[in-house]
Amino acid sequence: MRIIKNIFDSQRKHFEKNGRLRKLSPLFDAAETFFFIPGDVTQKGPHVRDSIDLKRFMSFVLAAIIPTLLWGIYNAGYHSFLASGVEATIIKSIIRGSYIVLPIVAVSYGVGFFWEIVFAVKRRHAISEGFLVTGILFPLTLPPTIPLWQVAAGISFGVVLGKEIFGGTGRNFLNPALTGRAFLFFAYPSKMSGDTVWTVVDKIDALTGATPLAISGLVGAGGKIESALTSAKYSFTTLFEGLYPGSIGETSALLCMIGAVFLVVTGIASYRIIAGGIIGVLATGFFLNFISGSNSLAWFSLNPFYHLVTGGFAFGITFMATDPVSAPGMDTSRWIYGFLIGVLTVLVRVFNPAYVEGTMLSILFMNALAPVIDHFVIGIRLGKRVPNV
Amino acid sequence: MIPVNVKVKNGYDLPVEGKPLCEVVTLEKPSHVALLPEHIPFVKPRLLVKIGDSVKVGTALFEDKRSPVIKFLSPGSGEIENIEFGPRRVISKIVIKLDSREEHVELEKLSQQEIEDIGQKELVGRIMKGGLWTLLRQLPFRDIADPGITAPSILVRMDNLEPFHPDPEIYLESKTDLFSFGMKVLNRLSDSVVVYTGSKNGYAIKQVGQYLTHKVSGSYPADDPGVVLFHTKKTANENQSWYINGQDVLLIADLLKNGRYPVERTVCVAGSMAKKRQHLHTRLGAPVSHIACGSSENNTRIIAGGVLTGYSVKSDSYLGFYETSLTILPKGGEPEFFGFARPGIDKSGYLNTFLSVFNKNPLKMDCSMHGENRGCINCSTCARVCPVDILPQFTMKAILADEIEEAAAHGLLDCVECGLCSYVCPSKIELGDIIKTARKKYYKECM
Ligand code: SF4
Ligand code: SF4
Repeated sequence: MRIIKNIFDSQRKHFEKNGRLRKLSPLFDAAETFFFIPGDVTQKGPHVRDSIDLKRFMSFVLAAIIPTLLWGIYNAGYHSFLASGVEATIIKSIIRGSYIVLPIVAVSYGVGFFWEIVFAVKRRHAISEGFLVTGILFPLTLPPTIPLWQVAAGISFGVVLGKEIFGGTGRNFLNPALTGRAFLFFAYPSKMSGDTVWTVVDKIDALTGATPLAISGLVGAGGKIESALTSAKYSFTTLFEGLYPGSIGETSALLCMIGAVFLVVTGIASYRIIAGGIIGVLATGFFLNFISGSNSLAWFSLNPFYHLVTGGFAFGITFMATDPVSAPGMDTSRWIYGFLIGVLTVLVRVFNPAYVEGTMLSILFMNALAPVIDHFVIGIRLGKRVPNV
Repeated sequence: MIPVNVKVKNGYDLPVEGKPLCEVVTLEKPSHVALLPEHIPFVKPRLLVKIGDSVKVGTALFEDKRSPVIKFLSPGSGEIENIEFGPRRVISKIVIKLDSREEHVELEKLSQQEIEDIGQKELVGRIMKGGLWTLLRQLPFRDIADPGITAPSILVRMDNLEPFHPDPEIYLESKTDLFSFGMKVLNRLSDSVVVYTGSKNGYAIKQVGQYLTHKVSGSYPADDPGVVLFHTKKTANENQSWYINGQDVLLIADLLKNGRYPVERTVCVAGSMAKKRQHLHTRLGAPVSHIACGSSENNTRIIAGGVLTGYSVKSDSYLGFYETSLTILPKGGEPEFFGFARPGIDKSGYLNTFLSVFNKNPLKMDCSMHGENRGCINCSTCARVCPVDILPQFTMKAILADEIEEAAAHGLLDCVECGLCSYVCPSKIELGDIIKTARKKYYKECM
């Protein structure tokens, strides 16, 4: 601890006003404050302050995401072997998976961090901890076969156009990780969808699987999605646990659920958004069940719980939708926001099979609507106050 | 009368260590006392004495230029030793060297019966002459009550949940008769006198039970008069209600009954760095060092008033007119290695991100910021604590955008300046201070 302190103390002069590296002082500060919470004392009332800071806040989100990353590594490795017909051990899968996933994560963090520094230096503000979360969320929504240059392009788009042009963390209204993801989805659809992108293979003739959503989309009117999924070896339990090809971090609804509980219990994430989302999905699902006839789309009669465990809904509602910056601030708004995300997710899947990734689109759409919801909810709330002017 | 229950949902009880004991010590007479005009909000003082003048207890030292009938009286008899000015010629201190004669300015006495018979104007005049009208404050800005209006109601707060304030059990001890006398006075000033206490304060409930109109349950600052008013008011007329502290009701009663300016105060000394945490009987305007009884000054911060709303004082200063507590905390300010990753069994946290969730003991808190200032992430933690349902983050943004009317619609004037929003904000935004400054500005523009 002493040693680290000495290193910072001895290097500080280069980053101060007249030092030769003064432009990079946000970088120095970010590094120093990572090790040491600065010893500032309160200048204005209240004299004491809570021990939480944004670093703690964001590291908790990170901690909740990490299990899905670890699972994603294993899952990617496992399916890479499986595609060549090998049922690999856990260790082997993890090693293989690390080769696949870690470079993607590294590029996301590296390139994103670069932009953070550029803007921090230019605007002379501190580097915000929010990026720790964006930098990991983004790669987890990508297929494991994604080319690294696309990772770089996506995170650049997300950070620069999703966040920094609005003025940095706290002023953006779209979730930067999702913005980057959506950009890739529309700019390079061939790398983001189809049956071949979800598994890394080294032989051309390897057998890769379609994702559950793709299979569901193929079931004709009057058919049963559940049986199609089961015959493709995607039982409900498999979908819930997450051992199937898909985006790196999105496959396991179970781990997302654990993350969600962790975030809600610690008070970091709003349970209203998550609960609202689940209710939205189920309500829409049951409603479609209710109105489905013998020749309506197969989606209509799908057991609504399948919607919760497929297509990254669990991941999106837990980690993307609860991002406070792009979500509304009022409790009531959060219910509405979550609920509509759920509703839209199902509707997009059902009515627009070209974009089975309904979750991503609905969250982005609701991000844009969040201020509007807040506006109305706040209006109602202010109307109830006994005026005091 | 059966007290009405008032439930306040939001708020937060700081788990800070250093509660004063229920023991009382009577301090000997200090050598000096002082009045601190700079800590009397809104007042524009005009001096009525100069250095070297000799004064009695109750001699007027200065008056309020805005309303010269409001006078501030000398808390001791002796000689004006010094008058100190701060920046921009604000009078910071009027220091009196006490003599041994302890002479008083004698005023007329009133009996219980006379209180009921005397005209209301006359009664107000007597309290003003006695220098204690200033104890009545008017919401929402907490300026001295405006004698030109009839108060829609007067709220009497018996206790204070903020750490740390004197316990009613100490100041009310054997003074319930005097309290009844004070209640008679208040009843002459307004048709509606609301007396309330915390629902857990068994002592106060028992002692003043016959006057009790409300019982308040909830965390700090549930028992702030502004919060109680917010949760009970039905119409906008009530916004300008007055309030007074329980201890101050006794002072007004004492003044009218005995015809002398009362200078005794019950104060408490608390906080983890206080040498002795206790209650004290001492004088108005006693020196800080006298009250702090030898607590260390090194790396400590001495706070007059509570830890959330008080102001910091130096040990060579004096206790202000309105203050009845000194809290002494460690200054803090040590950089903390890997601070954000610590388990935090001893770190306070409104959100449950520290292991202290499982630690029910009071925690040693210091004056560190515990983090750096960042942009608002819209987490709404501030809105969750605000006792008067303000949305501090939206109000703050309205203020910074100079949309003061919008801020007012958000409840700017309902803010009780409790400081909790600043306390909990993970981005360390000075919400409370921004809102407080805007309130001041708003008031100045109204006047
Ligand atoms: S607590 Fe701070 S960061 Fe959170 S909404 Fe309020 S002002 Fe913004
Ligand atoms: S806005 Fe802040 S200071 Fe004002 S009452 Fe609400 S929490 Fe307290």
